Amino acid sequence: MTDSLPAVEIRNLVKDFKTSFKRQPLRAVDDVSIRIMPGEVYGLIGPNGSGKSTTMKALLGLVAPTSGQCSIFGKDSMKVDSRNEVGFLPENPYFYKHLSGEETLKFYGKLCGIKGKALNERVAELLALVDLKEASHRRIGGYSKGMLQRIGLAQALIQEPRLVILDEPTAGVDPIGSWEIRDLIFKLRARGITVFLCSHLLEQVQEVCDHVGIIFRGKMVKEGKLEDLIAIEDQTELIMRNASPELVANIERMIIEDGQAQLVRSGRPRTTLERLFLRETQKQETSKSQSK
Amino acid sequence: MNPLPILRSIPSHASRVSVIALHAFTQLVRMKVFYFLGFFAVILIASNFFNLPQHEGPESAGVNILRSIKSWSLGAMTLFSVVLSIVATALLLPKDVEDRTLYTILAKPVPRLDYLAGKLIGVLLLIFVSLALMDILMTVILHLRTNMVLADQVAAAEARGWPAGDIQILKSDILAQGPTASLQGAVFSVFLRSTIIASLALLISTFSSSTLFTTIISFLIYFIGHFQADARAAYFSQEAGTSDGWFTKMISLLVALILPDFQIFNVIDAVIEGQVMPVLILGKLTLIGLFYAVFYVIASWFIFAKKEF
Amino acid sequence: MNQWRKYMILCFAVLMAGALRLPFERTLTVELQQANLLPAKLEVKTGARIGQTFSAVSLGGLRTLVATFLNLRAFAFFSEQRWEDVAESYDTIVDLAPRTRYYWDTGSWHQAYNAASYYLYESDLPPLRRKLAWRESILKGRDFLERAIQNNPDDWQLLEALGFLLSDANKIAAFGSPGESYEKAYEAYKAAVDTGNARAFTERAALYSLARVPGRETEALTLARKVEKDLDHAGTPTLYGLLYVLEYYPDPNQDVMKLVDTIFESRKQAYEILGNQWLRTRDHFPVHGIARAITLLEAELQVSEAQSVLKHKLQSPMNPEEEF
Repeated sequence: MTDSLPAVEIRNLVKDFKTSFKRQPLRAVDDVSIRIMPGEVYGLIGPNGSGKSTTMKALLGLVAPTSGQCSIFGKDSMKVDSRNEVGFLPENPYFYKHLSGEETLKFYGKLCGIKGKALNERVAELLALVDLKEASHRRIGGYSKGMLQRIGLAQALIQEPRLVILDEPTAGVDPIGSWEIRDLIFKLRARGITVFLCSHLLEQVQEVCDHVGIIFRGKMVKEGKLEDLIAIEDQTELIMRNASPELVANIERMIIEDGQAQLVRSGRPRTTLERLFLRETQKQETSKSQSK
Repeated sequence: MNPLPILRSIPSHASRVSVIALHAFTQLVRMKVFYFLGFFAVILIASNFFNLPQHEGPESAGVNILRSIKSWSLGAMTLFSVVLSIVATALLLPKDVEDRTLYTILAKPVPRLDYLAGKLIGVLLLIFVSLALMDILMTVILHLRTNMVLADQVAAAEARGWPAGDIQILKSDILAQGPTASLQGAVFSVFLRSTIIASLALLISTFSSSTLFTTIISFLIYFIGHFQADARAAYFSQEAGTSDGWFTKMISLLVALILPDFQIFNVIDAVIEGQVMPVLILGKLTLIGLFYAVFYVIASWFIFAKKEF
Repeated sequence: MNQWRKYMILCFAVLMAGALRLPFERTLTVELQQANLLPAKLEVKTGARIGQTFSAVSLGGLRTLVATFLNLRAFAFFSEQRWEDVAESYDTIVDLAPRTRYYWDTGSWHQAYNAASYYLYESDLPPLRRKLAWRESILKGRDFLERAIQNNPDDWQLLEALGFLLSDANKIAAFGSPGESYEKAYEAYKAAVDTGNARAFTERAALYSLARVPGRETEALTLARKVEKDLDHAGTPTLYGLLYVLEYYPDPNQDVMKLVDTIFESRKQAYEILGNQWLRTRDHFPVHGIARAITLLEAELQVSEAQSVLKHKLQSPMNPEEEF
């Protein structure tokens, strides 16, 4: 059973970029290892320029690692056949403006070797999936940002890959479009497709991912199951609906009366992931400035 | 739906190359490149009806028009094919990188050689189809016009009481200026030349940083390439041994080795003037064209294979 | 570092590929030159003309089109009688289209005929200048035709044009001795015939020139007999007139009337033809035995002495000293 193979295996990936006229190359990715098992939805989060995209490009063979290895379902990323099982949606994708949505999907389908009736069916199915049936004959030049992302996602799925890589899938998309894309990722998860996405929009990652990695300045600073990462052992959270101010006041009073328990914070729920992320990155900053 | 991959036969290189080529072809067509053909038709028809102020004895009447039709047609074909093969090739690759469409293509199981070959063949396909259409138009008009000239001239010669042998000579003289097989060979030579230029532009675009740079360098090489043959002749003609000649000799050799020889394609002009191009020579030109194209594509792939985006 | 090694390998590969194709291209170029598909490096250009060659070479595929435009410009220069500019235009035009007879022909014609007669009749220059310019124009036209033939050795029409120019009664004075000029004209006509493509007229023209070369009468006679034998219709008066002169020449003591009867249809026709030939002094035709024949024919045809052809005033051949 191939399921025992990890869908994504990145081992000790290092990527240096030569900066012109500087001796010191820029290290974009520094010893990053990621392992994603089939069926997982993995979110890689980090600020802009932290090495997320470079990691993904290395995984797709678009850049060659300086050291380390990447593989997809056990196949080396530098080899063409590793791309059989993967679909990729780049950040802010532009497709050929002169093609219609349907032609775009057909083009990518043919590149993957799908032909004839199978291709037509697959294209129709994907257009329905991403809800672009009505716009399928319009040229892509006239598509909105959200439509572009959706056709991009459909394109990534054309050959029914077992792994989908999404680079900033909701960047620049309005809230509704963003919600639609999130919905699509749920659909993929339901089908058992492995998803590897990166984003700097943490709330979104938290919503859809079951595994996350935090990357900062090229280094993986924290990685694991989302629930484990954001659960704080000695804290308990109550989230209530329609709680009256009197009830809240009552509870707060009870906590003070307890003596052992301590009220840390009360108010509306926050993005706990955001907190975690900020804490982790600040920790990095301080350790770095101390070492200097 | 089955999440597991459906077993498929691995698509052959040829079919992938043809998918990319057809796509590049469509892309160029939708960039309204074919509008040039309308322009060409207008030029051609105008060249057919314009009676230019020039001296025409009774013997050359009409034959000049035939030459003018050929000059205009092949001139337009030359301009179109050279400009398009450089500009389209220089444009398509960086455009894919800029628009990140390249990512989506290379993220599919597409070998980079297939991608390069596909783009090149797409451009060449467009040029081939355009040239073929122009050729058909030129041949039809030239055919009609040649028959008119022939009828006029033969009638005039008969009226002047020329012997049959002389009329035969006149006929073959006029027919040599008409739509000959060599003329088709010349059109094909135009295509061969653009094959070399396009593949050269492809090579340059794999390491150049901008479309403008690729375009300028390609045009420059095209221009200087016309003198490669002279550099070669200079290398072989000079006496070795003299210290003065040594440097020039080496420079000449370098030019001859690096640049393609575009002067051989000046046979096109000779054919317009009515010279006969033997099939063997066309075959050899084709061989040269193929050699350049294959070499440049492989060289492009060599640079492009591990290129990072 | 890796990148540099890559480019080094590429440069090496380019040089190797160049070395591979170089011999092939070199032989192909020679082959193309032999097939007249590329201009052979006949003329090693002088400094002034290198610029022209430069554009001619690099305009591959557009050369005949550019030549068409320059031809229009040359026509404009011609209308304004700017002969220097006309000549220069045609120099460039034939660089661009060296195998188009029309351009060579027209370029030469403008100089040898149009410019020459302009200086002969219309120019405001003083006579000596006009004479010099007249002569120079004709020589320029001849020179241009000779270059044309160098570039197109198989073109019978260019050869014929040269023969025509060299034997033209109005031009011959520009070339020096008429005998030499007719000899050159004969050679040009003969070369035209030898291409195997020339019209029947060309061989007659060759004969007319050869007949006027002193010392080659025997050859001319052989040629004249051949031309007459090859005729598929009635020959021209000039042919029969020359046939008479050439047959007479080797044996001045022969029976003239017998000769006349073998050549001409009637004695009346003989008288007309030979009389005309006697009067064509500008053309330098030989007149051996014509006076004798005319005297006998006039006696027989009862032409009065006062009306005798031999008494007519003869036109002097073209002489620049008198024209200007």
